Amino acid sequence: MSELETYRQSARVFLDSMAPKYARPARSGNTVEQDLALGRQYMAARYDAGFAGINWSPEFGGQGLSNLHKIAFDAEEMQYGMPVGFFGISLGMPVPMMIHYGQDRDFVKERVTKALRGEEIWCQLFSEPSGGSDLAALRTKVEPDGNGWRMNGQKVWTSWAQYADYGVIVTRSDPTVAKHKGLTYFWVDMKAPGVEVRPIKLAGGDSHVNEVFFDNVRLEDEQRMGEVGGGFGLALHTLMIERYIATDSAGFGPHLDLFVKLAKETTLNGRPAIEDGRIRSAIARNHAMRAGLDSITRRAMLMMQAGMQPGPEGSLQKLVAVRSRQKLSELALDLQGTAALPFDEHAYVKEDWGTSWLNAPTGRIAGGSDEVLLNTIAEKVLGLPQDYRPDKGIPFNQIPA
Amino acid sequence: MSILYDEGQQAIATESRRVLDARMDKGRLLALLEQVGRIDQPFWDTAVEQGWTALAVPEVHGGLGLGLIELGLVAQAAGAATSGAPFLTVGYGAAQALLAAGQTGDLAALAAGEKLATVAFAEGSDPLPAGSAVTYADGKLHGTKPAVIGGLKADIAVVLARIDWQPVLVMADLSDVTRTAVPSFDNSRLYADLTFAGTPATVLAEGQTALDLARDVLARMAVVTAHEQVGGAEALLNIARDYSLTRKAFGQPIGAFQSIKHRIAELYGLIEVARANCIHAAASEGTDEFLIAAADARLSATEAYDTASRDCVQIHGGIGVTWEQGLHLHMRRARTLGIEQGNLLFWEDLLVDQLAGAAA
Repeated sequence: MSELETYRQSARVFLDSMAPKYARPARSGNTVEQDLALGRQYMAARYDAGFAGINWSPEFGGQGLSNLHKIAFDAEEMQYGMPVGFFGISLGMPVPMMIHYGQDRDFVKERVTKALRGEEIWCQLFSEPSGGSDLAALRTKVEPDGNGWRMNGQKVWTSWAQYADYGVIVTRSDPTVAKHKGLTYFWVDMKAPGVEVRPIKLAGGDSHVNEVFFDNVRLEDEQRMGEVGGGFGLALHTLMIERYIATDSAGFGPHLDLFVKLAKETTLNGRPAIEDGRIRSAIARNHAMRAGLDSITRRAMLMMQAGMQPGPEGSLQKLVAVRSRQKLSELALDLQGTAALPFDEHAYVKEDWGTSWLNAPTGRIAGGSDEVLLNTIAEKVLGLPQDYRPDKGIPFNQIPA
Repeated sequence: MSILYDEGQQAIATESRRVLDARMDKGRLLALLEQVGRIDQPFWDTAVEQGWTALAVPEVHGGLGLGLIELGLVAQAAGAATSGAPFLTVGYGAAQALLAAGQTGDLAALAAGEKLATVAFAEGSDPLPAGSAVTYADGKLHGTKPAVIGGLKADIAVVLARIDWQPVLVMADLSDVTRTAVPSFDNSRLYADLTFAGTPATVLAEGQTALDLARDVLARMAVVTAHEQVGGAEALLNIARDYSLTRKAFGQPIGAFQSIKHRIAELYGLIEVARANCIHAAASEGTDEFLIAAADARLSATEAYDTASRDCVQIHGGIGVTWEQGLHLHMRRARTLGIEQGNLLFWEDLLVDQLAGAAA
């Protein structure tokens, strides 16, 4: 057995031991606050068992293992439905950025340990009402204030900001230069005076994203990460950190087996729906697509094991998987007819077609919309021209609003 | 299971692509469309010279002892070039059937390209008829197999027939068979109705064993064809990309319009999914996963090639529908490859039968 497979097995042993207290069935009926409390306990247990910061340096409480070990553990953990959602972004981007760029190293070390143990949560304050896909159009501004800075503005779609202790943020420090060049990156204390968080209730009923307002919030210069004016580069670095993450060809919705099961149990025109050509076609096409994505993932793993860089086809995963999950979920509801109408707002997105359908649009927008991903593939992989950008090269404060 | 191509396999991919790039000629292929009964001889000579006919034949029978992975890579190059003869795939299928039945007498001649073999399973909309219209009795075949791939030139054929009402797989010598050419939209495939009237044939397998073997051979050929489809689709993607970078309209390259660039990016997605399925299927040869993997490869590759041929023509506008520009070579081939080795409907049904059984 390969070393990686041995590691995977040890992960399963750990996860099995945790499952009775923390896995999906144990969480059923929890409020968000109860679930968060349970999540913090699980994170502490995971840290103590040596499965935290798997691919991070031991200097920062990590295990010093490879990206592959991290992916292997995450793929196993995903199957249990542990309460880790609150900490995914925190440990995915902001905390690694602090390790890279945080000025006060002792402060960083303390924060990292607490974040790994689930005692503190970090959020990522990027998107704004005027800048989502077009991140560099953001307007939250910082102005020099003595030996530090003063910040005013608004962020939006910030996941878990209502529970966050700290955040990383991109701001506009110089509106007189082209939009990408006038940005500066900081960390911010989410409990500081002038920070206000307002949860946004989403279409699916949950409120994990927020608006965050900054009213004259004081930032010390040692909260700055990277150079003044270097914020866009750090923002790109943030988005590159999590390149090697566990993927899910089901688009983080139900497995195709569940659709096959539904088709066998449902009657259509007096016969099992599994015998209906339209249903069969949908199953077959989805299987072929998902099998292709799984195979892309396995090859990426093999390339990483061989010390090579995985190919750009990995960038297809979210684009292809989530939108087909949306359509398959629609079909699953259609297939059930009126039996699809009862809705349980607490149902699990990987087990329930209604929940999967209702939340699928979020997946097609968050983390790069379908359209932005298509642009990225067209431009970065295939070498096609950039879109027409009338604001290119123009100082930010001269761009027509 | 999945693999990364090793150095030898990468060399096969590069070399086959290089040789075909140097030797294939669009004008020659276009001329073949208007003639019945002709293949692109330079392509086939190249295939024999390069040892592609010997690739997947065991060494003891005069072959190179390689497998589906290597043959798939050659097929991918052949697909990119809209290869001028169908025997790479059907010759391989026939050889696999003969090998499985232990009737290896013709394998050396097939490997050397001295004999041409084909596979005659399909009858109309049924790629694998259990109750064939061709009957076998007393060592002889009677009846007609319609539109057999390569039927106009093949020397031998593996035929799915029936004895009474039991399926039987036989090997027939075609020297005295009546061949009626089927003029088609892709004539270098050499489609012909083969009419057997007491044609001598030897049994390879009978009953359920015959159907199982035929299905396995069909799945293997489908994986080769899927590679060919991926090669064709990828060639179209590159043609579409290059054209959209040079063709200008409204003051900019048309590739800067999202209606064009997103269409091409979507093609990339279809092709990479199909390619990954092809690699997985070829590497799963001989395992329990093979049939499902072959179906996945076949479904995604057919979708990729059909879509690429539709969209590439559309991106070209008027020039795309001209005879001389030749995109219709791919359009035609996308459809013939889509029909040969089992259509989408067949593979969808086969896949769901496998999945529904597995999930029971």
